[in-house]
Amino acid sequence: MNSLLLLFVALGVPTLGVLVYALVTGSPGLRRHVLTRVALTIPMILILATVVFVVLRVLPGDPVTSSLGPRGNPEVREAMRDQLGLDLPIWAQYGRYLGSLFTFDLGNALTSGRRPVAVELGERFPATIELIVPAAIVAVVGGILAGTLAGSRRKSATDYGLRMFSVAIYAMPVFWLGLILQLIFAVQLGWFPVAGRIDPIVSGSLERVTNLLVVDSLITGNWAALGSALRHLVLPAATLGLILLGVFLRLTRVNVIETLQEDYVAAARARGIKEGVIVYRHALRNAMIPVITFIGLQVAILLAGAVLTETVFSWPGVGRYLVERIGLRDYTAVQGVVAVFAIFVSMISLLVDVVYSIVDPRVRY
Amino acid sequence: MDTERLLPEAPQPEPLPDWEEELARVGLVRRAFMARRWYGPDWWFVVIGSVIVVFLTLVALFPQWFAPHDPSANVGPRNLAPGEKPDVEVLVSLEGSGVANLRDLASGDREPFGVVVGTPSSEIARAAADTIGEETGERIRLRIQRFDTLEEMLGAVADGSVRAGAGSNIAIEEVLDDYPGVTIQGSLEGAEVTADTSFILGTNQLGQDVLSRLIWGTRVAFLVGFAAAAFALAIGLPLGLVSGFTGGKLDRVLSLIMDSIYSFPGLVLAIAIAAVLGASIFNVVVAIAVVYIPTYFRIVRGQTLAIKEAVFVEAARSIGARSWEILWKYIFPNVIPSVAIIFSVNVADAILTGAGLSFLGLGLPPHIPDWGIDLARGQVAIQTSWWLVTFPGLAVMFVVLTLTMLGEGLIEIINPRLRDR
Repeated sequence: MNSLLLLFVALGVPTLGVLVYALVTGSPGLRRHVLTRVALTIPMILILATVVFVVLRVLPGDPVTSSLGPRGNPEVREAMRDQLGLDLPIWAQYGRYLGSLFTFDLGNALTSGRRPVAVELGERFPATIELIVPAAIVAVVGGILAGTLAGSRRKSATDYGLRMFSVAIYAMPVFWLGLILQLIFAVQLGWFPVAGRIDPIVSGSLERVTNLLVVDSLITGNWAALGSALRHLVLPAATLGLILLGVFLRLTRVNVIETLQEDYVAAARARGIKEGVIVYRHALRNAMIPVITFIGLQVAILLAGAVLTETVFSWPGVGRYLVERIGLRDYTAVQGVVAVFAIFVSMISLLVDVVYSIVDPRVRY
Repeated sequence: MDTERLLPEAPQPEPLPDWEEELARVGLVRRAFMARRWYGPDWWFVVIGSVIVVFLTLVALFPQWFAPHDPSANVGPRNLAPGEKPDVEVLVSLEGSGVANLRDLASGDREPFGVVVGTPSSEIARAAADTIGEETGERIRLRIQRFDTLEEMLGAVADGSVRAGAGSNIAIEEVLDDYPGVTIQGSLEGAEVTADTSFILGTNQLGQDVLSRLIWGTRVAFLVGFAAAAFALAIGLPLGLVSGFTGGKLDRVLSLIMDSIYSFPGLVLAIAIAAVLGASIFNVVVAIAVVYIPTYFRIVRGQTLAIKEAVFVEAARSIGARSWEILWKYIFPNVIPSVAIIFSVNVADAILTGAGLSFLGLGLPPHIPDWGIDLARGQVAIQTSWWLVTFPGLAVMFVVLTLTMLGEGLIEIINPRLRDR
């Protein structure tokens, strides 16, 4: 079975579960909302796929010429055109392309021995997941904690310091933050490895199950591999996480400030409840709802950041694959990556949106 | 358009506060200064931001005024750390001896020329003499006298037993004070050796000056940032206006398309477009612009929807204004403030995206001095040369920070409601 398909099943099953739950148990309003949302997701994926198709096939630039060079052998050139279906009329090509998307057959790569793109992506997607999940945790947990701190001590030195930090971090190019962390913690201090995903020495001893190295080493009890994988993970995850942390910090801060002005907070204060309890138990809980929704919107930024972070840290994920294959002019592979990203982003945003609409009854179309 | 007069039922305006009356009497420039009083820190953000942006624009337009060296020329030794003086072989002679460069030694009687044994001075001096000879047509034949130590050589120059000597400028400068009258005349090749031949931010692997490349990089960054944002604006704004104003099917289709692009990782889309179009500045601009069209579309459409319902639009319609007239004369001017704010922040975003693209080696032709390209080259040498990855990144951050500060200040002043978008 195609490992990429497996991944999307892993993502699709919970989404489907949530959808079914909402449709079965939900009120008519919720049901209508969920159905509209699903109906909108399909054209969204189609539009993105079409944009990708237009960019790669209709814009000037011939994939065959750019991959073989202007002086390529005419016979090889013809064979390649034939294989890519470039001689077909543009509509037939479009149909073929959409068909291939729905069957998860993304075609064969033009490089690396014509392996199926879906298989290659399936091998690399776990690395990207292993990078973006810890990064998201760093961003959300760190951002919410720091934002609460700043919001509850408004106009204090802490507040100004944290706000300046969030603005500065927003202005930083992701890849530069990566380079600087590499410079300080890997080159100068030597605390963490400069690049890569796992030490090649322990890599051989690790049995691959999910290709998520941290998970694999936990399942098989390979502690040396776990240590190595975690040490390799720290800098890339911190890089990607810190960039997003600033956004979450600002959002949480604003929400905490607003919530702390609510009447029930004043009432709690009047009852003599400790300020810490008010902030962390009462205010934060309500301030967090808009913050959580925001996570769904950030998946796109996370993926874009992953492309740069993976390049800086030679992390063998989908982002680096994309950059590599663009360098090699492998358009089938590029097309595959972009299409898979489109599906991934749409599915996550659907999932977050539906969960949110179940939690908060005010959200309806 | 004085809308108040069209509306007899509007409540009488409250008497103007003092500052507003004052404001009405003064000119635009003084008005901007007076604004300081009621906008506080945001006013300062805008003013400081504007000053820096104007200065940076000047740098971007005329980098040759600011850069000490040619950004693409190999102007110094390779991999020089910031502030580290290049080790140049220099010519020393007695002050007033009339020997200021190797050519002065050419005239006639083959004066003795002092070098220290075991240093590359004699080889470099001969090579320099040959180069000068080829250029001028006269042959310089150096009669070289060898000394065992630098001190002996400088002593000989000081007492006039040789007319000139050569050695490393760093070694000579350390002991030069002990030899009154002996001065450094310049490098053996004839270049001046002054403070500016040391490279403030160091040099890269090719011996290019990091500072000059930073200064020239401002040009590409600003060009890409402003052009991409303007391009996106030029497409997103009219689409948003029309879509929001006409509504209906067109609006729904356009919104869906724009939302789809908006939800997609922008950098990935830009990567794909830049890769297909090939390397040129214009193509980078197009690739980045496409990503930001939905930003303008969404904001303009939202504003249009709101303004469309405003009373003055209804009034205009009731006196028989045509649709395009309403769109152009009543809605468009009211959309401009929010677009102006987004523009500043958007330029910053576009610069970040552009740096990302060129870091990945996409879009820009490699001979253009650019921060992203320099960062990618610096990463290769990260183990040895920390300055190569540090300064171009700081430059990006500084520019983005300034533009963001300007934008945020403007948001606060012009339209506080937009703030948390």
